[in-house]
Formats: sequence, structure tokens, C-alpha cells
Amino acid sequence: MNRGPHTVPPDRESEQWVEQLRPGHPRRDRAVADLREVLLRVAYHELSRRRGQLGSISGPEFDDLAEQAADDALVNVLTRLDNFRGLSRFTTWAYKFVMFEVSGKVARHTWRRQPPSREELVFEQLPDSQAPHPGDRLEQQEQLSALSAAIRRLTERQREVFVAVALNEVPIDVLAGRLGTNRNAIYKNLFDARRNLRASMVAAGHLVAEKYAA
Amino acid sequence: MTDLRCLDELLRAEDGDAGCTAGEEILDAYVELELRGVDPARGYPGTAIHLESCPGCRADHDGLLEAARRFGDAAR
Repeated sequence: MNRGPHTVPPDRESEQWVEQLRPGHPRRDRAVADLREVLLRVAYHELSRRRGQLGSISGPEFDDLAEQAADDALVNVLTRLDNFRGLSRFTTWAYKFVMFEVSGKVARHTWRRQPPSREELVFEQLPDSQAPHPGDRLEQQEQLSALSAAIRRLTERQREVFVAVALNEVPIDVLAGRLGTNRNAIYKNLFDARRNLRASMVAAGHLVAEKYAA
Repeated sequence: MTDLRCLDELLRAEDGDAGCTAGEEILDAYVELELRGVDPARGYPGTAIHLESCPGCRADHDGLLEAARRFGDAAR
């Protein structure tokens, strides 16, 4: 195993997993079955944790999502076995693929059941101020007005992503599915939108800290 | 919708953000350090920044941390 600078000590359990999962090992079938079983438990747990995104999903449908996530994660683990570098325990590395599969499947499920409509994604009604003093309230209204104007000046894609993800809390993977792209590309749009908006707010003289600005 | 008081957070775009792909590669190592009580931001500062800003990667991180804690080295 190639070990990087931020590693944990090698452990026999991880080495055993990798050895036994290799093609030709006499215990391979048993090891694959054991791994599949634990990945399925992790998939059920993670799907339960994200149940809020799944709506009123029925029992068999929920089971099917868990089975698919576990199976796809297992395939990923087995095909990438040589990529395991021992930066973590083997099981933690394997569970990571369950997280990625669950993320993708939950997003696709959410999108199929209730695709976010462009019409529903609004920013014109930014929240009312709860400032206790009239002066503070006026200042906040001016900030909101400046923010709305800055949002309108974003590129179309930056505006769409910022309004959906940052203002309307559409899950980033759901939006990626709708736009036919991936999480990383959406995040880049979001990052650029945030940076442009921050620059606009600073340039407009509003009280926005520059701690994240370039 | 968000409250104006959260504006600073809403517009968080910090230098050094490693992005989603870089974090995916080392997310297991990041979580393992956390489980061992080591600050993962020392080894992976770009991912630490990223996890503050990316809701998708943060959800994966939180799920992996919980799974590793809960299931650990599964008994075989």
C-alpha cells in the first residue's frame, strides 16, 4: 500500500479485507458476502438519516434503494481495490462509496418525484428584517436591495445555482441532476456566485466582512 | 430563505477551498483522523474549508463519520 503523509497506523483487519477480496483468494466469496452485508447495513442507516429528502417512500422502494446502493458500492470497492492506500481503515474507505451512492440515488429519487421548478425558486421576497431598531431595519432593507440587484447581475447559471442552493435549499445533487451536470460543477458555480455577490456588497459599501474575499 | 443576519455565511467563498473532487478522494482519511481525535484541518486544510461551504459534501462527511463510528470494523 502507498501511504501518504496523513495516515493512520496499518491494521491487520484492513489488510485481511484487501487480501481476501482479491480474485483467487480461497475466502473471496465469503469476504464479498460479508462486505456486502455490512455495506447494506450502512446503506439502510444512511438512507434513514436522509429520509427527510425521500418523502413518503414506501417500504419496498426504500429497500430497493438500499439494495442498489449497497450493490453499486460493492462494485466500486471491488474494482478500485488497488486504489486503497491505507489512509483509513478499509471499512471506512468502503463506507465512503455507500455515501456517494446514497447521495446520488437520493438526489435522483427526489428529482423524479418532485423536480424543483424554476418558477418556485425565487429571491425577490428576501426575508423581512427582525432588527429591533428602525435605523437597523432601514440599513438591512438597503442591504437586501443591494443583494437583490447583485443577484440579478450574476450570470444566468450562477444566479440559477445560487438561488436554488443557497436561498431555496435545493440539494446540490438534485440541482446537478436537473441541469445534467455533477456536484463539483454546481459547487464551482455556487462558489463563483458567492464571491461575485460578496464583492458587489463590499463595493456597495455594505457591512459585509471581507474575510473570505480574494 | 435565509435571514439577513446569515449574510456573511450565505456568501461564504473562502480561499483555499479544495472543491468536491479533492475531498472525495480523502474523505475516509479525513474522517479517520476525526475519529482518532486529530484535527483533520491540519492535514487537509482545503477540505476542511470546503466542508464548511458545500452542503453535498458535508452531508457525505456527516454520514461517513456516523457510519464509521456506528459500524466501525464490522465483525466478521
